[in-house]
Amino acid sequence: MIEVKNLYKSFGSLQVLRGLSLNVEDGQVVSVIGPSGSGKSTLLRSINLLEQPTYGEIWLDGKLITPPDPYLHFDVIRASNTYKKLKAAGGKSDEELIADIKKNDLLKKHEGSEYAAMLKDITGKNFQSTNEVREKVGMVFQHFNLFPHMTVLDNMIYAPTTVKKIPKDQAIERAKQLLDSVGMLEKIDVYPGTLSGGQKQRVAIARALCMEPEAVLFDEPTSALDPEMVKEVLDVIKKLATTGITMVLVTHEMGFAREVSDRICFLDQGILIEDAPPEVFFSTPKSERARIFLDKVL
Amino acid sequence: MKLDFSVIVGYLPMFGNGLLVTLEVTFCSLFFALLLSIPLSLCKISNIKPLQAFATFYTSIFRGVPILVQVFMMYFGIPLVTGLRFTAFAAGTIVFAMNSAAYISESMRGGILAIDRGQYEAAMALGVHYPAMMKDIILPQAIKSVLPSLINEFIGLLKNTTLIASIGLVDILRVGQLIQGATYRAFEPFFVISLFYYVLVMCLSYLGKVLERRVNKSDRG
Ligand SMILES: Nc1ncnc2c1ncn2[C@@H]1O[C@H](COP(=O)(O)OP(=O)(O)O)[C@@H](O)[C@H]1O
Ligand SMILES: [Mg+2]
Repeated sequence: MIEVKNLYKSFGSLQVLRGLSLNVEDGQVVSVIGPSGSGKSTLLRSINLLEQPTYGEIWLDGKLITPPDPYLHFDVIRASNTYKKLKAAGGKSDEELIADIKKNDLLKKHEGSEYAAMLKDITGKNFQSTNEVREKVGMVFQHFNLFPHMTVLDNMIYAPTTVKKIPKDQAIERAKQLLDSVGMLEKIDVYPGTLSGGQKQRVAIARALCMEPEAVLFDEPTSALDPEMVKEVLDVIKKLATTGITMVLVTHEMGFAREVSDRICFLDQGILIEDAPPEVFFSTPKSERARIFLDKVL
Repeated sequence: MKLDFSVIVGYLPMFGNGLLVTLEVTFCSLFFALLLSIPLSLCKISNIKPLQAFATFYTSIFRGVPILVQVFMMYFGIPLVTGLRFTAFAAGTIVFAMNSAAYISESMRGGILAIDRGQYEAAMALGVHYPAMMKDIILPQAIKSVLPSLINEFIGLLKNTTLIASIGLVDILRVGQLIQGATYRAFEPFFVISLFYYVLVMCLSYLGKVLERRVNKSDRG
């Protein structure tokens, strides 16, 4: 359902993601773990288009959600002026030329009309707008980010009624069901400022679900919580994991990741180092770096 | 010279009318200032350079030119060049509103910038578009945080409206001058006027303090 292809992301000279590829199937629960600063949040934020990748593409339900990356399409590279020039100079095979161009990042912004037309064609056939993406993919943040000037109910129904234009009574009905399922129905009329961290996060999860997304991204949903509130939030996420919704979860709760995940992805310095079922990853990690990381956190 | 406040009594209805004019000018100016300050502050935080430049230039004009000069310009100067004539009330209100908008938009800009990135990101992640996000999520929080400074602007505006007497509108200050002319008494009328302003400003300051306390109490989500 979510397909990340060769994703690079830099902030200035800082390379945060360095060629990351990842497939998340429909209904899968994937936990992303790794040291702080390894690019986990940046990965999630890219999937939700809060960041623009530097290179690479992200596909959602078979549709492209980022601008096309010419380096991922050989025929596009072949259509570029740079390729044609190098080809005319002779001496190298097609494969060598493409490898050269990729390795040295030789493509410029403008590479002739044929090249531009091919990129446009890819976009035209496959592109999915930011809005569609945001409707399909919900996000839960470390710091909850509830709207403090709205009651819990208004937090829940604001986006469904204004973005999806769902009739208000219908949105309220759904909000009530969801609040009930996260155990927050009795707080429906209060402002977020009066809630505990755990309660805020449960409301934030319900708010994301109110948009009926196909996938939910969790960015360290329990990291900002006092220890005694972690469980109530994990319980909600666990329950959600059994509903068949697609989930990508960044977490430091190893026991929890092991319990709910179909796969564990271990990220270090912007590279996906391991991608394995939890029983395999936690018992026999392949890489030295994963072993060191697990030694520290377990 | 002996003080004699009894001469004032006969002029009390005039004082009332003057006060009404003062309050009318103040509230009208404040209303339009608020309306104007929202797009101005949005220009200031915008990524679009010409909009930013315009808003910055706008603010610098009203900071750089004394208000009395602006009032004279609007009432005497601009009509000669453009042929547009304003009543004293309109000229004053326009100048005060544009002036306050410059200052309010400055604090509004600060209020908007002080809002947590997470609020924007949560809104974006929910698919909320920029205009709705600003209108329903960012601005309400920003305005709430600038309410105390809005009260200060309101106080400044109230005092500045006395300048309108200089183009002949009969506000409360002008009433005082008229009484002075008729009775040759200055202390009494201006004392009464001072008292009006003082009490009004003290009440507003108190309101500002209360608001400030309430704003500070509100929690992040
Ligand atoms: N908007 C940004 N501007 C500059 N640097 C950033 C930005 N966002 C993240 N970074 C940097 O990118 C690196 C990876 O960040 P992040 O993806 O948040 O890591 P993680 O979530 O794994 O801890 C960090 O060094 C962080 O400081
Ligand atoms: Mg992070």
